[in-house]
Amino acid sequence: MLYVELTIQGIVQGSIYALIALGLTLVYGLLRILHVAHAALFTLGGYIGVIVTNQTGSLTLAIVAAAIIVGLVGMAVYKLAYEPLLSQPPYIALIASIALFIASEELYRIIFGPYGLSYTVQPMSGHIELFDGFRLKYVEILVISMSVVILSVLGYLSLHSRMGIAWRATVTDPSMAQAFGVNIQNVRYLNFFIGSALAAIAGVLVALLNNFVEPTMGSVASYKALAIIVLGGLGSIRGTLLAAMLLGVIESFGTIYLGHLIDRDALAFAFLILVLMVRPQGLLGAK
Amino acid sequence: MAYEMTLITTMAISVLFALSLNFISGFCGQISLGHAAFLGTGAYTSAMMTKASIPFLLTLPAAAITAAILGFIIGLTSLRVRHDFLAITTMGTGFLFVGLIRQQEFFGGEIGIAGIPSTGLGREGFMALCIGLAALFAIFSIRVRRSWMGFVYDSIADNEDITRILGINASTYKLIAFVIGTATAGVAGALYAHHFRFIGPDSFGFVESMSVLAMVIVGGIGSTAGVIVSAAVMSVMPLLFQFIDDYKLLLYSALLFFMMRFSPDGLAGLCSRTYDKIRRRRA
Amino acid sequence: MSNVLDVENVTVRFGGVTAVSNASFHVSKGDLLGFIGPNGAGKTTMMRVITGVVTAQEGSVRLEGKDLAGLSINQRIRSGLALAQQIVQPLRDMSLLDNVALACGVSKTSNALKSMFLMDRSVERKRALELLDMVGLAESADAMPATLPLGFLKRLEVARALALEPRLLLLDEPLAGLNQSEAKGLADLIKSLNENGQTILLIEHNLREVMRICPLLYVQDNGRSLAFGPAKDVMANKDVRRAYLGGTE
Repeated sequence: MLYVELTIQGIVQGSIYALIALGLTLVYGLLRILHVAHAALFTLGGYIGVIVTNQTGSLTLAIVAAAIIVGLVGMAVYKLAYEPLLSQPPYIALIASIALFIASEELYRIIFGPYGLSYTVQPMSGHIELFDGFRLKYVEILVISMSVVILSVLGYLSLHSRMGIAWRATVTDPSMAQAFGVNIQNVRYLNFFIGSALAAIAGVLVALLNNFVEPTMGSVASYKALAIIVLGGLGSIRGTLLAAMLLGVIESFGTIYLGHLIDRDALAFAFLILVLMVRPQGLLGAK
Repeated sequence: MAYEMTLITTMAISVLFALSLNFISGFCGQISLGHAAFLGTGAYTSAMMTKASIPFLLTLPAAAITAAILGFIIGLTSLRVRHDFLAITTMGTGFLFVGLIRQQEFFGGEIGIAGIPSTGLGREGFMALCIGLAALFAIFSIRVRRSWMGFVYDSIADNEDITRILGINASTYKLIAFVIGTATAGVAGALYAHHFRFIGPDSFGFVESMSVLAMVIVGGIGSTAGVIVSAAVMSVMPLLFQFIDDYKLLLYSALLFFMMRFSPDGLAGLCSRTYDKIRRRRA
Repeated sequence: MSNVLDVENVTVRFGGVTAVSNASFHVSKGDLLGFIGPNGAGKTTMMRVITGVVTAQEGSVRLEGKDLAGLSINQRIRSGLALAQQIVQPLRDMSLLDNVALACGVSKTSNALKSMFLMDRSVERKRALELLDMVGLAESADAMPATLPLGFLKRLEVARALALEPRLLLLDEPLAGLNQSEAKGLADLIKSLNENGQTILLIEHNLREVMRICPLLYVQDNGRSLAFGPAKDVMANKDVRRAYLGGTE
């Protein structure tokens, strides 16, 4: 029974990772930038989620507000921070992004206080009992089902909508896409909007799972999400999703069986380094 | 005087540590986001040894060697993965180091190692040692930069594939950079441990890795003089002004961001451009 | 038999596609061999087999009788190969002079640890200036690559390759992207290098210039060797005519 429980825990965690990492992959696929500050947007989403829920009592409104506000902030980050750096060597943008991330953690600490926030009334706090006293929290069901729905809708749109097709063309070959009349700038904005909105939703969900947000809640997520997209082969969406799920499950088992040797958060990197040594291009990466 | 000596010692250790990263990232162009792991390796090696009553000076080579062994391994990974992948791998190494240390009783676990014995050199003697080692490595750095090895490093940092097409075994050169840079970081770690007399896993985490990278980049990546100035200033600023300490991270990260955004070649680049401008105006 | 380069029965497959199939040719000492073929002929692949970027499934490549299989590109260069690439890649943060001087210093960079103690660059800089003069770039020696037009950088590639004092100079489409007079100038330079004894394998699209300067030709089409020999005989070859005329019709 332990195995089932661990696997489900892993899938819940993996769904969160997938939502966060997808935005990163989108940015990397388009701009070749490792967007560490993405995790700052995840944290911002968590804060907006808690604050809006506490003010209005509506979780749905909170999720929508978080997605839209953070999506817009994401677009601003692209415009102000990354666009001017596109012609520089890639590590410049990477370091700028890390700096931006650390600065925003500090800003959250100053603005929202160092001790974190909780829901006054935690939404969806119940659980259902499956078998042998095995419990599944409503929140966990919400996390899994929202990830599945969001990712499937996005997958469908990327294949069938005009914008989705333009987006895929741009990722494959920007200059060719431009020649076919795709407005690359718009694709980039959309990319940042969607990626950031996903991170924000993940933030709200994590806030629900833990009933807590704090300035540093993005720390672990940021580096782990990086590990995930590198594992997935940088820019490969399918690889990213696979790596996210795999990591979620490996962590939940690893914590039990390897916890005395190495702490949970370092496990992701041990796995990452191991995989990179065997496959320098990531799990599903091309070339 | 005691307070000033502490400040100067702190500066010297930071300069040595920053120059060690500059050797890898500035000269050879291999960005490392986990350099604090090597500082930590040296610090733990040395602290464990002096606690076992081994004379401090003997622990310095040992700290250099353990850090260099780890550095050599990371260097090997740099032959396999490049650029962004390498940056993430080095970052992972940093997390792995902290994650491993934290779980080992042997290394004091979460709490770390306290009560590290004194070096027996006295405050002045220790300060002189730190300054001496930092100066020595600075001179070595400047010399290497001007040598044929430095010439090759310029080329590798610029374009590794072309370096190979010029018949140069870039892999060997990269490994040497990693070994020299990490061994030096290990020595800095030994000094660090005996300066603060206390070390814990958090002393060598991601924030520390980013701080040292900030020093190198703000100074001007590759510029020995620039890195010395920025490391010296940035390491004591938080100690001098308490209010800076509270906002240290915000200040550093903002500085780093604006440096990247407006002058990616750091203070050194800023200075040389300003100098050029003034000269042109006079001419 | 004083062959500098022997390519024998080389076959390269990528997945299910055969890029080069059973191709053979050789370059003798003092030759200027033009390697031509229509688009998709497998020229680039063959080139990459010689430099070691691509591994051939079958066949062998020998430089002065020494099998190159398993050698990394820097080892191949040290065995006597030098390469001027189609896509120019100068070291951007160095002057032209230093770009060439670094290549002149192969003996100083062969031992990495020793290179730490070698400071003097004057001999190499002097030699580099001679080479830049030879390719007509002496006046731009102190310029940075980013400030110069493509034609100059193509010549820089050649000078840098010559600095390695190769047994075989490999030129990959040196004329591509140049206008007619620039191309003619560079072709003349290649010809005069050869007349001074440099063995050259010239991979080139510009048929007109190749015909003008190369006494020997090797033609590949669809990955197969079509013809190899004196230029006149090769151009009279039926298969060659069909490959070219068929391609342009």
